[in-house]
Amino acid sequence: MSRATNRGPLLIGVAIAISLALVGIYLAAGGASYAPAKVQDPCEERPWRDPEGLDELAEQFSFSALDGAACELGVSRETLARALATPESRERFTQRYEIDDAELARAIRAGLLRAVDDAERAGVLSPFLATPLRSTLREIPVDQAIELIQDASTLLDNLETFLGPAQGLLEQILP
Amino acid sequence: MSSQRSRLVSLAVAVGLVLADSSIVVLALPEIYRDLDTSVAGVTWVLVSFNLVMALAAVPAAHLARRIGPGRAAAVGLAVFAGAGLACGLASELSTLIAARCVQALGGALAVTAALELLPATVGSERRAVAIWATAGATGAALGPALGGLMTELVSWQSIFLIQAPLAIAAGVPILAVARHEAATGIVAAELRSTGRPHLLANLALAMVSAAIAAALFLLVLLLIEGWRLTPIGAAIVVSAMPLAALFGARLGPGMGSARARAAAGAILVSGGLGGLALLPKAEVVLTLPPQLLVGVGLALVLSALTETALAGRAPQAIHGGWTISARHAGVAIGLLALTPLFTADIAQQRNDAIDAGTAVVLDSKVSPLLKLELSQRIDDRLAGERGRVPTIGSAFEPLPEDPEDRAEVLVLREELQDQLDRAATHAFSPSFGLGALIGLLALVPIGLARRVEL
Repeated sequence: MSRATNRGPLLIGVAIAISLALVGIYLAAGGASYAPAKVQDPCEERPWRDPEGLDELAEQFSFSALDGAACELGVSRETLARALATPESRERFTQRYEIDDAELARAIRAGLLRAVDDAERAGVLSPFLATPLRSTLREIPVDQAIELIQDASTLLDNLETFLGPAQGLLEQILP
Repeated sequence: MSSQRSRLVSLAVAVGLVLADSSIVVLALPEIYRDLDTSVAGVTWVLVSFNLVMALAAVPAAHLARRIGPGRAAAVGLAVFAGAGLACGLASELSTLIAARCVQALGGALAVTAALELLPATVGSERRAVAIWATAGATGAALGPALGGLMTELVSWQSIFLIQAPLAIAAGVPILAVARHEAATGIVAAELRSTGRPHLLANLALAMVSAAIAAALFLLVLLLIEGWRLTPIGAAIVVSAMPLAALFGARLGPGMGSARARAAAGAILVSGGLGGLALLPKAEVVLTLPPQLLVGVGLALVLSALTETALAGRAPQAIHGGWTISARHAGVAIGLLALTPLFTADIAQQRNDAIDAGTAVVLDSKVSPLLKLELSQRIDDRLAGERGRVPTIGSAFEPLPEDPEDRAEVLVLREELQDQLDRAATHAFSPSFGLGALIGLLALVPIGLARRVEL
């Protein structure tokens, strides 16, 4: 057996050792999990934090509404948030997912209703207010509904229109 | 320089030049993609067409070379290669470019197989001729992407092809003497002999390893340019680690073990390197270097050992060399065709996941709701302009808010979103690199079964 032939198994052994070492080091350094973070399923409940004022309450209301609408449409909350940013992005979204205006309107209203449910469950909206708010939200035009999702503080500004005398009661239950 | 030496240099350059062409456009593909306004799948055919035609034409070209004389065949092949190179450089449509690439491959196949017939008479030993031919080919293939990247950045993607014409002509000049001698005497290099069967296992292993190496080169370049947004010249510098390692690997000659052992060790190193690329723990260029070193050393070991095995004791060399060229390029073409749909689908999915993850970071941040809205809108606009590629997201955060607290928060957001995009771009390539590693490991089966060469 020649000297070169003798070195064959050694060469293969070194190649295996180096390859395994590289793969092992990269695995240990987190190579298997270096991927984008997974976003939460919008159909799952997202716990509300204790709101610190009207803005935070409005924001959590918006997020709940986004979750609800996204769940209805089968997309992520994040995709829907970007889609509702402008009329152009909304059009791109409806074309891409082949959603018509009626479907979008239905989903957004469903989202707003879920936000009311979540707010009620979190104890920041009393059942006394939640019921008339639901009736109002079921009927509002889609553009106005999108506006509410984008900036839920407008909901509170517009509560007088929506709820009439209930506005005063809402202010009483806000933290 | 003696005529023998100048002929040796020109033959080595011709082989290197032609085989570099199987990979030289890799770094130019993003530029061609944008310039000719095509799709990722479409632009891949600039690479696939050349390799496919080389695979199909190599053996018939070798037969032709033996019929008309290798000197004449090499001269004609280089002339066709040069002319088609000019046509590639002047192409303004993808279909023209692909057609010219096919013609280029025909000329290249003729030149490369004829070169193998001419080399033994030039260097005085068949074994040495095979070693030089295999090394020139491996070096060309490994250097191709880096050279292509440099040309693309410094001049244009067209220059990659235009520069090949004078180089091919220059390489053909010393061969003309042989061609003239053949024409004058009517003598071809060797009498027509029975060609015998090609070494199936060695050629099968060559095809599999070539598919894995194509994955390493093609995907790494795309990751660097399209995923991590390096310039072609930056990517060229990074991927030059592979040919440098290949030059080192080429020095590990027969003294390091039998051909089968070197082939096995090379295939393992190529797979190990690809495994490393599949498991990159961060989007950092430096982390691609160790895997590249493994792939580079591995490719030099395995390609030369398998070529040696495929040609050992077989005659005529041009025909069996043709089989090795055919196997290598078929492997590259099949590798590209198999991997392209996989990673294009992955990159689209990962991009969407990254954008969602980034938007979640924005939504859950402490910036004001109105600023969140504005950022979401800007991110969406930025994405709309990217035609499905992994976007650079920095400009979506400009102008930065004037309020110092908001500005600090937005800067954190920008970093987090870019991190998500880097993760997505890197992760999108993992399955393809992983598949390449698996193909490289599977090549151990035919290598192990090739009993003709002792371990």
